[in-house]
Amino acid sequence: MQEHTQLSHKQINEDLLKDVLTVPKWWLPAVSFLGLVVLTGLGAFFFMMYHGLGVTGLNRPVMWGVFIANFVFWIGISHAGIMISAILRLTQAEWRRPITRAAEVMTVFSLIAALHTPLMHVGRPWRVLYWIFPYDFSRGIWPNVRSPFVWDPSAVGTYLIASSLFVFVCLLPDIAILRDRAKKPIVKKIYAQMALGFRGTPRQWKLQILAGILLSALVLPVFVSVHSIVSWDFAVLIGVEGWHSTIFAPYFIIGAIHSGVSAVAMLMALSVWLYGLDKYIKPDHFDAIARLLIVVATTWFFFFFLEWVYALYTLAPPEIALRELQAFQWPYGPLFAIFIITSFVIPVPLWLFKRVRRSVVWMFWTTVLVNIGMWLERFLIVIPGLIRRTHMTFDWGTYHPSIVEILIVVETFAFVCLGMLLFAKVLPLIPLFDVKEGMVNRRLIKVGRRVIPATIREGLPHHYYEKKQ
Amino acid sequence: MVNNPGDRVLEPYVETDNSVETRKAVSDGLLGIHNITSNRFWQFAALFGIMFIFGIVGFVWKLSLGFDDKSTWGYYVAVFAFLMTTSSAAPMVAIAPRIANSHWRRPISRAAEIWTLAGCLNLILYIPLIWLLPSLENGRRSLWFYGQQEGVPAYSPHIWATLAIVGLVLLGLSLLWLSTLPDFAVLRDQGEGWKKKWGGKLALGWRGTSAQWNWQHHRMGVVGAFYFMMLVFVHFFISVEFLMVHVPGWIDSLYPITHAHNALQAGVATVMLTMFFLRQFGGYKDYIGLDQFWGLGKLLLALSLLWFWFWFSSFNVFWYGGKPSEQAVLELLVKGPYLYLFITIFILVFILPWFTMIWNPVRRSVWGPAILATSVLIGTLLDRIRLYVASWDVAGRSMAKELEMKMQDVPTKIQTPGYEDIFIMVGFIAGSILIFMLATRLIPAVNLWEQKEMLLYKAEIQFHRTKVTVMGKSR
Repeated sequence: MQEHTQLSHKQINEDLLKDVLTVPKWWLPAVSFLGLVVLTGLGAFFFMMYHGLGVTGLNRPVMWGVFIANFVFWIGISHAGIMISAILRLTQAEWRRPITRAAEVMTVFSLIAALHTPLMHVGRPWRVLYWIFPYDFSRGIWPNVRSPFVWDPSAVGTYLIASSLFVFVCLLPDIAILRDRAKKPIVKKIYAQMALGFRGTPRQWKLQILAGILLSALVLPVFVSVHSIVSWDFAVLIGVEGWHSTIFAPYFIIGAIHSGVSAVAMLMALSVWLYGLDKYIKPDHFDAIARLLIVVATTWFFFFFLEWVYALYTLAPPEIALRELQAFQWPYGPLFAIFIITSFVIPVPLWLFKRVRRSVVWMFWTTVLVNIGMWLERFLIVIPGLIRRTHMTFDWGTYHPSIVEILIVVETFAFVCLGMLLFAKVLPLIPLFDVKEGMVNRRLIKVGRRVIPATIREGLPHHYYEKKQ
Repeated sequence: MVNNPGDRVLEPYVETDNSVETRKAVSDGLLGIHNITSNRFWQFAALFGIMFIFGIVGFVWKLSLGFDDKSTWGYYVAVFAFLMTTSSAAPMVAIAPRIANSHWRRPISRAAEIWTLAGCLNLILYIPLIWLLPSLENGRRSLWFYGQQEGVPAYSPHIWATLAIVGLVLLGLSLLWLSTLPDFAVLRDQGEGWKKKWGGKLALGWRGTSAQWNWQHHRMGVVGAFYFMMLVFVHFFISVEFLMVHVPGWIDSLYPITHAHNALQAGVATVMLTMFFLRQFGGYKDYIGLDQFWGLGKLLLALSLLWFWFWFSSFNVFWYGGKPSEQAVLELLVKGPYLYLFITIFILVFILPWFTMIWNPVRRSVWGPAILATSVLIGTLLDRIRLYVASWDVAGRSMAKELEMKMQDVPTKIQTPGYEDIFIMVGFIAGSILIFMLATRLIPAVNLWEQKEMLLYKAEIQFHRTKVTVMGKSR
């Protein structure tokens, strides 16, 4: 990081807790609006529950509509937290410090958003109890554990628990600061309960850091397994052309990282604009995340290319017909073009320019485009695959999402935004302790006429180990 | 640090030891090691040379047997693929950490790049393979839209694979030359005899001006990025044209990436083992330390985990799908005659590295990573044998025109290698090592300029009651 403002711990506390301890003017109207959208979506859901799934556009053979596309999209977004936080933490990337918390919190809210779309999709969500109890009590009929649909909730549930724990462990020192600064006794008491007696003793710091590293390492396989399993919902089927592809697991993961990291860049821009955190989130941070995005987007595009090449390599007429439907026929053709243009063709060449990478506005809008494209990608995987007429389909229609489905999908977006705003009201969106640690570790080195930033690295200098041997 | 009234903190500079004396000491130290060639070095070089002669004999012998029976060529292609997986992938260990600005790569990068010279041997092995590749006219599956698009020649695979492999070798040589330029200049100025002469010729008037340094850094970045892209494409071609097209029904869109990933894993293992030998027997103990094994160990751990994930992603989709042709492919490659070989590979390439490298003391040691790198390299060689021998065995049964394989088509036993195959296998692996060894006589195996550059960025300071290392980042 070339740009850096060295701040005292006091200044950091004041800057980053300002919006927790006071209420910004825009906060209440924004929360009310988002709350209203969420309530409207829930209203649509109860309407659907009362009238049945007939109020949606779902019909044979398209029994998975925008709900499932949206589910895959939010699972993808949830990968940002772990990608940014765990991987960058393990690789000791210094630029991660101000952005890890927002990414981790977004993981939790997007996972909840992801989980509730398939729940709504089943029409009768109370039947989720059958996952815990047998279908038929007298005969003890349990869900089939060999079904990919049993793997899904297990993986997503594990990921939700692990990432919540990760967020909580990383929050502990900051909650302790809030406990010490809160003025109202009831608020102080709540923070005190949450802080679990954290006082910042050397032993507590050691445990907190160790837990953070351990959870980072443990949550990584979970992160990989979640989207792999989601992809296998599709890939293990041989009945739908276009889904039965071995590349789906890595392709879904890299796509998830592409959309998730883009979402983090969006969040960074919003944090700068809404909370005035430009002293902490600098153009250098946008530059670093844009460089990461160039690599991720190019890798994702290569996987996409391979997926298509191998579809054509099969020489199977149904597979080729599906690709024609996806890419050239109405209404999917234009959506396909928008998907390619927004997720790769526009943003990646733009990110090659330093001026774009360092601009908050450019980064915000290019990453918004990526997420539009990546939502459409999921839509184009789910719907055309099912809609194509095959010899085994006895009935077919077309699919148009109904207003009920659209309201529920919009609700998920509002839910995540609302969750983030509420979180930022009670807990800091930038980790105070991590930023302070960065300030403590930071040094400057003069190279010729330039002064460059330097960091204290963990462990003793190399020759100390050598002497010990 | 002192706080000023505005709560901004004034930061003092950390002093680095970048004096002329220190830089000279680094140069002298490394050149001193480079200029000594022990008797043991020549003894091993002679041994590998003899083995390489056996390899050449095997190569000629193989050619004399003809190209008609493809099933006998499996081991030959396996050796070619193994060398592409190891020596050609090793330079990535220099490229990727250099782009990521990791300082631990500095003593590693040169040795990793020298491996690219061994890529020239791959070109020799590749020549007969051009005759063995099936053209598109026999109805085989094709990536080239043959018969669907105008103007696609029937020999597209031959043309593109040749261009990619030659391109990779040329890019590797360019990268090595670019990276060695400043060291050639040192040899020109401080070397003796033939080294001085060749250093002068290859340094091309390098004087170390700012413009020359900027040019060198920029070109290394560009060539490195292209090398990576070309490596991925080469593995894409190899995995399709030399592997999948020979097995009817093997349609695995992930496999090209798996093949490229295997190369990265084996490339890291190759460099790890090279570092071990350079440290233990090459005299570089003061330069190749635990940090290098630690950094490489973390990479190997991550790549071993990815090995399992890539393999399982393909396996699970085939196995769970239950499609007859895919079951036959699994029977051929995993569950049938190659089952025990596969289990051995699974242990060597995944289980052993994962369960041991996960422990920090193993990663942060010299012997641990070296032993595990050996395990990965043996496992990778066996894996190439499993895949290529099985696939070329099927290719020899003239099923290429069929688009799906049946269970009864799966061979029941493993092809045994002929003496010529063993000669080629041993000889060409030894040949690669010999080329590496001889190259280190001209080119210093540890980068001089990168070691000296490190002096600009590294400092030791007192931090409370302990000493710590401070590392600067140029960008």
